[in-house]
This record gives sequence, structure tokens and C-alpha cells, in this order.
Amino acid sequence: MYYLAAVITVALILFLPRIGLLARIKDYRAAKEREQMEDALKHLLDRENQGRHATPESIAGTLDIARDKVTRLIENIEAQGLIESRGNNLHLTAEGERWALHVLRAHRLWERYLADEARMPLNKIHGEAQRREHNFTEAQLNELDAALGHPIRDPHGDPIPSREGKMNRAEGMSITAWQADRPARIVHLEDEPALAYQQILAAGLRLGQDIRIIEKNPNRYILSDGESEFKLAPAVASNIFVSAIPESEMLKREAIPLTELAHDQRAQIVMLDDSVQGFTRRRFLDLGLTPGTTIFPELTNFFGEPRAYRVRGTSIALRNDQAAQIWVKPV
Amino acid sequence: METISPNDILAKAETLRNSLSTGFRDEIVKSIYSEAERVAHRAVKTASDKKYDLDQKIDRLVTSPWTGLPLMLVLLGIIIWLTVSGANVASEAIANLLFGLGDLGRNLFNQIGAPWWITGFIWDGVYLGLAWVISVMLPPMAIFFPAFTFLEDLGYLPRVAFNLDWLFKKAGAHGKQSLTMAMGFGCNAAGVVATRVIDSPRERLIAILTNNFVPCNGRFPTLIMLATVFVASAFPPALTSFIAAGTVVGVVLIGVAFTFFMSWLLSRTVLKGEASAFTLELPPYRKPNLGRILYTSIIDRTIFVLWRAMQTAAPAGAIIWILANIPYGDANLARAIADWLNPFGLILGLDGVILLAYIIAIPANEIVVPTMMMVYMGAGMMIDGPGTSAGIFDLLVNGNGWTMLTAVNLMLFALLHNPCATTIMTIYKETKSWKWATVSVVITLGLAFLVTFLTASVARLLGWA
Amino acid sequence: MTNIKINLPTEHCETCPAFTQLEQMGIKVGDFDRVIALAGNPNTGKSTLFNALTGLKQHTGNWPGKTVTRAEGGFQFNHVKYKLVDLPGTYSLLSASQDEEVARDFILFGQPSCTIVVTDATALERNLNLVMQVMEITDKVVVAVNLMDEARRKGIEVDARSLARDLGVPAVPVTARTGEGIATLLSTVAEVIEGKIAVKPMRVEGTPEFQKAVNELVPMIESMAPGIPNARWLAIRLLDGDARVQKAITSGELGGIVQRQRQADAQFSRKMSVEGRQ
Ligand SMILES: Nc1nc2c(ncn2[C@@H]2O[C@H](COP(=O)(O)OP(=O)(O)OP(=O)(O)O)[C@@H](O)[C@H]2O)c(=O)[nH]1
Ligand SMILES: [Mg+2]
Repeated sequence: MYYLAAVITVALILFLPRIGLLARIKDYRAAKEREQMEDALKHLLDRENQGRHATPESIAGTLDIARDKVTRLIENIEAQGLIESRGNNLHLTAEGERWALHVLRAHRLWERYLADEARMPLNKIHGEAQRREHNFTEAQLNELDAALGHPIRDPHGDPIPSREGKMNRAEGMSITAWQADRPARIVHLEDEPALAYQQILAAGLRLGQDIRIIEKNPNRYILSDGESEFKLAPAVASNIFVSAIPESEMLKREAIPLTELAHDQRAQIVMLDDSVQGFTRRRFLDLGLTPGTTIFPELTNFFGEPRAYRVRGTSIALRNDQAAQIWVKPV
Repeated sequence: METISPNDILAKAETLRNSLSTGFRDEIVKSIYSEAERVAHRAVKTASDKKYDLDQKIDRLVTSPWTGLPLMLVLLGIIIWLTVSGANVASEAIANLLFGLGDLGRNLFNQIGAPWWITGFIWDGVYLGLAWVISVMLPPMAIFFPAFTFLEDLGYLPRVAFNLDWLFKKAGAHGKQSLTMAMGFGCNAAGVVATRVIDSPRERLIAILTNNFVPCNGRFPTLIMLATVFVASAFPPALTSFIAAGTVVGVVLIGVAFTFFMSWLLSRTVLKGEASAFTLELPPYRKPNLGRILYTSIIDRTIFVLWRAMQTAAPAGAIIWILANIPYGDANLARAIADWLNPFGLILGLDGVILLAYIIAIPANEIVVPTMMMVYMGAGMMIDGPGTSAGIFDLLVNGNGWTMLTAVNLMLFALLHNPCATTIMTIYKETKSWKWATVSVVITLGLAFLVTFLTASVARLLGWA
Repeated sequence: MTNIKINLPTEHCETCPAFTQLEQMGIKVGDFDRVIALAGNPNTGKSTLFNALTGLKQHTGNWPGKTVTRAEGGFQFNHVKYKLVDLPGTYSLLSASQDEEVARDFILFGQPSCTIVVTDATALERNLNLVMQVMEITDKVVVAVNLMDEARRKGIEVDARSLARDLGVPAVPVTARTGEGIATLLSTVAEVIEGKIAVKPMRVEGTPEFQKAVNELVPMIESMAPGIPNARWLAIRLLDGDARVQKAITSGELGGIVQRQRQADAQFSRKMSVEGRQ
């Protein structure tokens, strides 16, 4: 009698659909498999954006899994019609690219969420988003997107794919069309033709560099990053794409964070840092912390934090990590 | 006419949004504020602001690095000292009056020849329960509520949050949690509702789950009575009220320490996450409206809380009387249950009667002490002047074998044990989850058992008890 | 409980009728003629004003965030019954934390006959932010400039007329604690509801590109939900990507609201016709 009951119980625990142990293990394995597949797709997309090809080796390296497992993984994905291999190179199919963009969107939206709403430090959000990006439906992502107020960039400044799966690529114009004395930031280096690309890299120019045109004539361009000069033929230079340095960075150069103000030292708010987004930014604005507002620290407590600042006739206490995101200019 | 669907509108809004520059919300708020500046500038004339200078001076004192925290302790001490010393006198007077009335009533019933069980049920059950609750609870509340509301109306509470936020941040919680704790002194259920001022759901949940470590007004009288009768009685009479107040302050601080510890633990385990944004407005000090304070805190809150306690005290009194009058073995049922619970109680440094009282008082645990006293008395002990400290001391120590350990552990238990039924319901309503309501009970009760067990064991090992 | 009748001091009130009477009705708000919402920044005295009008004892305290839920009470003024709704304080209608959501939803979807925005006379500039946001949603706004006693103590003078002229809605100085100015406030509210005072709320323009975007969206919203009172505000919120408003639009909640408002209108006109016959 007891024996029978015990057997039934064990059987139930093991085999009960959905909540039984075996069902759970199966669910878990399925989820793990999907995760690996999505990571592989993302890797392919990443490579394609960089203009390089993904290979089984590069997948093994990025996902940190054994070679034989990679082969099985690739076969599996190929069978689903998401990638196709040409020789050793792997390519995303249209369907595969759609899926990869979906995962990328999930990843970057989660990063935005973690940075804005959960206020995680920037160096932690990538790992956490990596864990959370899987197993989301389109509808769930749309909801997250709406709740975050439709952000267009992730906290690292990379574009978030839109709901139609379009990527707002970093725009920019060729430096040959750029005004001579205006500072610029390199946003894209055209890799075709390869020879020009090699020359650009050899000269020491890289993505994200801030440069200025020193001299331009039909024979050559001279660019400078403030320290060294780069000489390029116009045909080569036309492969460098630049855009304006964000206004916020220009402003920041002449400002100090609010935390550095001395007691009772009056200052004017220059701007809120770009890294303050979401709820915190809205709250700051609502409290009247808008550019141009006069502010000064008025109270500090035993621990040195929070400090209270007088803004628009009211005393408002802020923690130091938040105050550091408000840029001010002493007056 | 062509119809426009909601989705058309959303799609249109999205394209338009993408065409706008990103900082457009900043722009809206900025233009509203600059408009507000202009309007206000035209409508408001400010002479030199002397009041601001005064406010500033006070604030420098109240929040300054060296005076801010000590001043908080001093204010807490003053409020509790006022409560303890005032309540001591008043409680005795009220107890004498009510117990005297009870004797009269009992005699009257006896004279008119009412059956013993009616007389007993009414005067030794229901009436006694009410008399205890009123005499133990009314005076402390009538002093504490107004004193506390005075500080609240003055504008002191946000300064407390300002002074303590750093500690909360370290514990992974929100500085406004201290505001909700302050509300918890009045009533934990109110404290739980007040957590809505915390924006982040995670930090709000931490504040909800730990609110119970602030002794509410229902539990204060227990602490005050024990501190006066036991701890303070070991000192010269002149010091009694100070020692008692100091003890209660100590217990409150232990509660605060547990709050920080639990918040820290929760934010490292089940409620993981970083501290969120903290913005707190420190309003100017305002002159409290004394008449209003007295009226609302006494008529509104004290009577309200007391009434609630009385509603559970009356049936509890009845139950105890019945239990104490059902013969069982060679004693009665109440004794028997208490004896049965006794080993368990002793492990925790308490005794069986205390546990029985806690079980009977589950609906509203502010009536624990009254219930306990009734069980002790109902079980045959007669004492004279039950309202005086000496009388209670005599009853508990000589009559029922209490030691200092019993008193200390009962205080700790009263501080830590589970929230009352109303608070549990409120937690459920605010979190919409039975899971969190259950967690709140498990955490508090578990901690109460653990801590009392540890103190009892240590005390016994060291030979103190 | 019997209702308490109070004769309000009217000597400083230019527009009031000779006789005004306030009757506090506590929580007895069975049938009422009008609904008034009390909005405002935290800690500006909304609950104090609410208590003064209804005779209830909503808790007050000198810290922002004392009220976190909606409270309702009633009063009768010059023989008209009002339901008064005390809302949690909010800095704006944009952030929407939990207590603020309560306030915002009521102003937006509760369709009050009039919204009193209670402001702090000693920090008017900060408070006007919310006033202007409320005026984006509804025209029926009266600004109560509260804490006048504090302002006087601090040597601050507020020119309510200049304020009213700039804002385009009435502004009434009051001291909720003593009852000063409350009679004027109530008769002003009545006149705004009855349309005797014309309101023309100031609207913040914004950048040209922003205006263009708003102007493109407004007709679409209006043709989807004809008669919607605050299409402009909804358009702004949609441009800002407000999830709550997006949901209201797709779930058809908006249509329901408009309908409810029509019903109220119908009721009102029926009442007019009934009264007209008498
Ligand atoms: N001197 C003075 N004090 C006032 C007046 N009105 C309100 N107060 C005080 O201001 C404080 C805040 O009042 P409340 O009515 O609680 O403010 P509230 O707007 O309801 O605040 P929240 O509920 O937090 O949004 C209380 O201490 C009141 O006593 C007034 O007219 N004069
Ligand atoms: Mg309030």
C-alpha cells in the first residue's frame, strides 16, 4: 500500500506534464538550445555589420563551445532555413537576419531598461541583457519598447533596431563634403575598395576618432586629431564618413559635475548627462532641473551624501551618483 | 469619410517621433519652465527673506554632520520619555479606577443573585479584557500620537530621511523608507500603504517587508510596561522613567538595526538590484497647528486604534475566561494548554502562557499583554492593586517565575514577531500577492524565534538565567 | 452625523453673492451635481483644503507624499452639491510613479467638472509647471494660491490678478488652514463651471517642428474619437511615447470616455429642460 503510493508519487514528480521533473528538464534543454541558436545568429549579424564573414570557428570562439557541438548547432540552424553556408563562410538568410535583428533589439532594449529603470552600472548591463534577451515574443518587445518611450539608441550609443527590423545605421557624410573648420567624429569607414580601406587603417585613423580638416586641396587632405596629422589622397579620404560631435560633449567640456560644487557656490545647469534617461531624467526635469536654472548646494549630512540643493526656491536632496550626472557651470 | 484606426495613429506618431530631435521632451519641459519663470516673475514680489535665513540656520543644525544624528536620537528619546513617564502615572490611575468599577459590578451582580457563570463571563472575562486594554494602551497612545504628529507637522520627517538615506543606500534600499517607518510607529498597516512614495517596485517591496520591525502603537505599550516593571525596577526610583525610556529607545534601535540588516539581506538575495534614483524635497518648516494636532491625534487616531483593540479584547477576554473555567485534569483548560506549550516557550526564554496569549491575540497582537495578564490572573492568582508596577512585578516574578530573561525576550519577541492580521491584509492588497504576504510573516516570525532562542541559549550558557 | 453649516467670511470677496453658505457633508456623497478634483504639487495643502471643505479628517503632514490614495468627500455650496476628490501630490503628469498615476488618471479620465490646482505661494514658479500641464488637459481650471499666511511671513507678495491674466484661468489666494479666501475660491469654481467666467488657458508653444508634428496628429485623433476634449494633450503624449496613453487609444478606452462624457452632457441638458419647465 505505502509502496504503491510512493511509486505513484515518484512517477508523478517525474512525468507530470509541464510541471514534472522530466518536462522541466526538456523545457530547460529546449530553452538552452534556442539561446545558443540566437547567440549564433547574433554573431553572424555582428560579423556582417563589420563586413566580415562568420565561420564555424568564429562561432565556437564567441559562444565558447566545443567544435563538434558547433557543427551540430550549425546543421540545426541551417535545417531551419536561417543560415546558409558557402564553403567555410556562413551567411544569414532573410529570415535569419530578421530573427537576429529581433534578438539584437531585445538585447539593446533590455540594456536600455537596465540602465534607465533598474539603474545598473554600465559595465554590468551587457551581461545581464545577454541573459534576458532570449525567449521574447515580438509583442512583448513592443510593450517594453513603449514602456521605455521608444528609445533609438542603447546606453552604449548603438542603434536599436525598430519594430520593422530596420536598423537606424549611424548616418554621416563623406569627409570630402564636410566643412573645413568644423570638428567631426568618424562614424564609418567604407571597406570597399579594400586598398583605400587599408590605407586609411595604415594611416592610424579609427572609428570614433574626433578629427578636424586642417587642409584640403585637389591633391590631398590633411586631417588632425589634435596630436598627429594624417595625409590622404582625396579619393581615399572620401571613404571616411563623419558626423558632428554630439552637442552634449561640447557642452560637457566647459562644465563640472554638480557634486564638485562647493557649499553655497552658485552655478547654472548646463545639461543633464546623456546617460540619465527614463524615469530619472523625467523626474529631474519635473523638479525643474532644466538647463539654465540656478542651483547651489545648501546642506550636507554626516555621511556626505545625499546633499540638498536649492533649485527654484525649494531644497531638493540628491544622491551623489545622480548629482554627478548634472553638469553645471559656476557663476 | 475614411475612418482612422488607432493603429494608424500610433504608426503616424512613431514616424513623427523619429523625425523629431531626440531631446524633445527636454525641450517641452524647458519651455514650460521658462514660461513659468516669466509668469511667476511678473506675479511675485519678494522682499528679503528672513524666514529663509532662519530655516537655513535650523536646517544646518538639524542635518549637520555632527549634530544631525545625535539630535534625532535626542528627539526620539524625549518623545519616548514623555510617553513612558506620562503613561506610567496615567495607566495606574486608570487601572485602579477600572478595576474598582469591576469590583463594584461583580458585587452588584452577586447581590442580585446572578448565576456565577454570568457574573464571571461578564466581569472576569469581557470586562477585564477591556479594562486591561484601556489602561495599558490609552495613556501611551494619547501622549505618543500628539508628540509625534507635532514633529510631523513641523516638517522634521524629511530631514530624518535626509540624514539616513546613505545607510539605506548601502543596504540597497531607498531613503524614503525611513518616512514609511515613521508612519509605522503609528500603525504598520499605514506604514505599508505609505511605501507608495517609493518609486522603484523593488525598494518598495523591501520597505513593505521590513516595516514590521518598527514597533507600532499597539506594541509600544507592551514594551513600555515591560521596561518600566522589569528593567527600570532594578534602579533607584528617581531614575525609573529615564531607564525605562532608555530601554524602549534601545529596543526601537534594535528594530532599526534589524530593518537595515533585513533590507540589506533582501537586496542581496530575493530582491536583487542596485539602489535607484532618490530625490527628496525638504519642505520649509511650518508652524504646527496645535489645536488640530490634539484633536486629530487624540480623537481620531487614539480612539480609533483603541476601539479596534477593544473589539478584539472583549472576545479574547471571553475566550480566556471560558478556557480558565473548563476543568481539565486537576486544573483548567487554559492552564493545561499553557503547560503543554511551556517547554516550547522555555526554549525561547518565554513561557507557555505568553505563547497562549499570542495565539489568542493573533487577530490584533496589541492585546497580547492584557491577554497574558488575564491568563495569569484567571489561573487563580489574586493580587492587589493589579495596576501598579509593584503589583505586576509581584504577579509575574513571584507568582509565575519570570526572570529578567523572560522580560527581555518578550520585548524582543514583541518587536520582531509577525504583523497583525490587518497589516498582513494590507500587504496583500498593496502587493497583490499572497506570496509576499506570506514572506512577510515567515521572515518576521522566523527571526523572532531565532533571536529569542539565541538570547535564551546564550543567557543560560553564561548562567544569567 | 449632522451636517455642519458654516458661514464663510465674505468681506474680501468681490464677486460673491451677498450670502454664501458652506455645508460640509463628510463622506455622504450619494448624489452630487458636480465633481471637483484637487490637484497640485506635493505638500501644498490639498488635504488641508479638502478637510476644510468636507469636514473630513484626511491626514495631513508637512512632508511631500503624505497622501498616496484618492479620497472623496462632499460639500454643498449655495445649494449645489459637490463631490470633492483629494489626489496625491504630483510634480508633473509626465513621470507617473504609482501615486502620481492615481492623480493623473483621475484628471485625465475622471472628467471632473473643474480641477482646482493647489499651489504653494512661496514656490510659485515650481508649481506653475504642473498648472500648465493640467491646463493642457482641461480648460476648467482654477488655481488656488495657498499658504498665503506663510508667504506673508516670508515677505512674499503674490499678485493673483497678474497671475490669472497670464495663465488665462482664475487664480485665488487662499489660506487653507484658516479658511481665508475659500468663499471666493468656491464661487469662482462655480462660475467657471457655469461658464460665467471665460477661461482661455495659456498653452506652451514649443519648437516649430514640434508644433508641426502636433498639428498633424490632432486631426487624426479628433476624427477617430469625435468630441474628444484633450486631443492636443494626447497628441503630445503619443509623440513622447507614453505607454499608458498608447494603451488607452488601442484598447478603445478613449472611445468609452468620450461616450461617458456625452452621457453626462445629455443628462445635463435633460436637467436643464426639466428645470426650464418648472
Ligand atoms: N501655514 C499654513 N500651513 C498650511 C496651510 N495649508 C496646509 N498647511 C500645512 O502644510 C502641510 C501640508 O499640507 P497637506 O494638506 O498635507 O498637503 P498635501 O498637498 O495634501 O500634501 P500631499 O498629500 O503630500 O500631496 C501641513 O503641515 C499643513 O498643516 C496654510 O494655508 N497655511
Ligand atoms: Mg494630501
